[in-house]
Amino acid sequence: MTYIGAEVIISPLGRTTAQNWAAISANQSGISLVKQAGFDNADLYLSKMLDLVDDYKFERLLSDALTAVSEQIDPKILTSQRTIVIISSTKGELDKDINDPFGKSIAALVERFSLVNQPLVLSNACISGVLAINAASNFIQAKIYDHAIVIGCDLISDFVVYGFQSLFAISDKPCAPFDASRNGITMGEGCGAVVVSNTKEIFRNGALQLLSGTSANDANHISGPSRTGEGLFRSVRKTLESNQIAPDEIDFVCAHGTATVFNDEMESIAFDRVGLTNVPLSSLKGYFGHTLGAAGVIETTASMQMMRHGTLLKSLGYHESGTSKKLNVLAENVSSRPETILKTASGFGGGNASLIIRSL
Amino acid sequence: MSLITTYCHLSADQCSVNGKVVSTRERSAAGSWFKQIYKEQEFVYPKFYKMDALSQAGFLASELIKRANQGIVNSYKDDEIAMLFANQSSSADTDLRFMHSYEHNGAPSPSLFVYTLPNIVLGEIAIINKWYGENMFAVLPKFAPGFFADYGRILLSTGAKAVLCGWLGVLGDHIEVFVWLVENESENGLDFNKENLLELAGI
Repeated sequence: MTYIGAEVIISPLGRTTAQNWAAISANQSGISLVKQAGFDNADLYLSKMLDLVDDYKFERLLSDALTAVSEQIDPKILTSQRTIVIISSTKGELDKDINDPFGKSIAALVERFSLVNQPLVLSNACISGVLAINAASNFIQAKIYDHAIVIGCDLISDFVVYGFQSLFAISDKPCAPFDASRNGITMGEGCGAVVVSNTKEIFRNGALQLLSGTSANDANHISGPSRTGEGLFRSVRKTLESNQIAPDEIDFVCAHGTATVFNDEMESIAFDRVGLTNVPLSSLKGYFGHTLGAAGVIETTASMQMMRHGTLLKSLGYHESGTSKKLNVLAENVSSRPETILKTASGFGGGNASLIIRSL
Repeated sequence: MSLITTYCHLSADQCSVNGKVVSTRERSAAGSWFKQIYKEQEFVYPKFYKMDALSQAGFLASELIKRANQGIVNSYKDDEIAMLFANQSSSADTDLRFMHSYEHNGAPSPSLFVYTLPNIVLGEIAIINKWYGENMFAVLPKFAPGFFADYGRILLSTGAKAVLCGWLGVLGDHIEVFVWLVENESENGLDFNKENLLELAGI
């Protein structure tokens, strides 16, 4: 069995997991109107860590996340030869070194924490985080490592903000995933971390079970979602089948839900094809914004917190169904202890990934 | 037994398949080196001209591998070929161009922005071939045969029957591309291990 735990969230809603849970369980959002944040000095809604003023922000967040993780596990794990650190990120410390956005931060992390193995950076657009957790599970099941610490981190920079503006993909209000009035993403920044291990006892606050998932490419378009949801459909179906889990065993779906018109529509079609339209579902982008390479990890950690606290969070910003296949999007928090949850992600490059977490 | 059955190298002035040179750069020729290969090899895929250099490199290497190993087009189901790529500088080559567009050319270019992720090349290859398999792009400090051997083996034991692997070093004039195919059910090739990868890579 593969275990997952020691989850950490650092976001505009707080520097600790407890602060983040307190905020999101009260349906508070990290999104605010930031003056002159866009190209041509446009004001934009962003989920930005306004109090993060370090020179090397990416390095700082990785370091803070690893410190927080280390306080929740057997301290020997961090420096074990049997441990790998996997970083999921699209742009790293791009503002400091566009030619090598990861090298310096990773080297600093290795030195500060005396890591034995070279960390692995995975950069697969918006599915990076889910892919990284699945990679962690695969490494452990193949007995290449016994433990993996997965850290997802991305920052808001002019580079990504101007890019998404150029695609006309940014919402003029806080994003509203799956809602009829949705009109684009809200960018976010932050960091999430989890530990994946073959040993339950290393976790000080208890563990959950990770059922390794799969990825599938849409083979359709590099920057637009498939109209049939083919890749997401295939990824979820493979993940369910390889773990011998039926769709009706899923108690909650933590969807990707970027709040663009086409993405959320695609997800509704894919979930309909798998038979998941009745399952309670939320997107967490209304709380954290779209944190790109960090999203899969942050949203998995938040889902783990939901399982531990017995509360399913509502999909913030959702009021009225706006997809052709109607989903069971949560408009209010629900008190419930889900046994089995599905996390999905989809992104540029046609990638789709999914994983399952079970309570023990 | 997993074997490396076909491989392709692209450097600043040579392109070779299974160690045999198929194109040599003509410095005097107009247009880019990758476009020279595209024309010489008589590929017909107009979208090539819209791609960034990283995707062009992936396109050329994967198409040359398919040409040298025609079995891969028909031997596998549409989700049985996984892709496992990596490099050192992510999408920096295009990131620099995109940054230039908004700092010096008046406005951020959407057609450049969509290539500012290293995994886009995997999407391009998936689209051409209608491959729905597993994809992964890693950013590593240097060519790491152990990473490819370990994760390639994982992919081959979790559903994939072949893995197209690639080290795509493309940044300005620096071109260090090595793409190879690993197949589970093949009789001819080299053992898929760290030692053979290191020797073949020449990196």
